Amino acid sequence: MEYGTIEREIHIDAPPDVVYEVITTPEHIAQWWGFDAEFPAVPDGQGRMTRPARDGRGQLVVPISVVEADAPRRFVFRWVHPEDQPATPENSFLVTFELEPAGGGTLLRLTEAGFREVGWEAATLEAYYRDHSVGWDQHLPSLAAYVARVARA
Amino acid sequence: MSATIDDELWAALGDPTRRRLLDLLLADGHGTATSLSDRMPVTRQAVAKHLVVLERAELVVARKEGREVRYVVNDAQFARAVRQLATVGAAWDARLRRIKKIAESIQALRSMD
Repeated sequence: MEYGTIEREIHIDAPPDVVYEVITTPEHIAQWWGFDAEFPAVPDGQGRMTRPARDGRGQLVVPISVVEADAPRRFVFRWVHPEDQPATPENSFLVTFELEPAGGGTLLRLTEAGFREVGWEAATLEAYYRDHSVGWDQHLPSLAAYVARVARA
Repeated sequence: MSATIDDELWAALGDPTRRRLLDLLLADGHGTATSLSDRMPVTRQAVAKHLVVLERAELVVARKEGREVRYVVNDAQFARAVRQLATVGAAWDARLRRIKKIAESIQALRSMD
C-alpha cells in the first residue's frame, strides 16, 4: 500500500471525448463534485472552486491550477494550495485523470498524490472537502433532466 | 490530537523503509532492531533510528526486554492513519461513479439521435 497516493480505475460506456468534457467543464463539475468551478481548462490555467460551507456560513473557496490539458487523453491539476501562493508539490494535491479508449468506451484512471508531501493536516482538509453522501443522494434524481438538457444544447 | 503530532504521524509514514518496518511488525506481531535488520537491506543502526521515528509518531510501542528493545504496532494509531486515507479514497470513488453516470447518460442520449 502506498500511503501517499490514491489510485482508482473505472470503465465508462462513453467515448473519451465525452468523458473528458464531463471532467473538465464547470457545468458537469458542479454535478459530480459539487463545486462551482471557475478555471480555464488549459495548461497553467488558474482558478478557484467554491461551494457553500457545510456549517452554512459563507463559502468554501478552493484554488485549482491546471497542469496539463490534453483532450481527450489527460487532464492534470493541483488543488488546495493557499489562495495567495502558486501551487507546488509541497502545498497542494496533484490529481491526474488518464483516459484510454477501451471496448468502445473509456478506461478512466485517477491518481491523487501529495498526501505525504503536504502532510497530515492537508489530508484531513481533503477529507473535509469530500462530498456529503446524503446530499448527493438527494441530488441524483435531478440528474436525468440535467443530462437531457445538456444533450440538447 | 494536536496538529504537530499529526504532522509527525504523516512524516513517519512517508518513508518507504519505515513502511516496510511496519509491514514486518504487522506480519510478525513484534520485533527488535536486530531481528528486523536481519530481514532488510539496511543496518541495525538505521533500523533503530527509523523505529525511534515510528515510536515518536506513536505508530509503534517500545518495551525494554533485557538489553534489547522490543517493538509492537500501536493498532489504534495505525488504524487511524489508514482510515484517514481510506476516507479520501471513498470520496473519489463516489466522484468517479458520478462521472461515469453523467458520461454514460450523455452518450445514451447522443446515440438516440
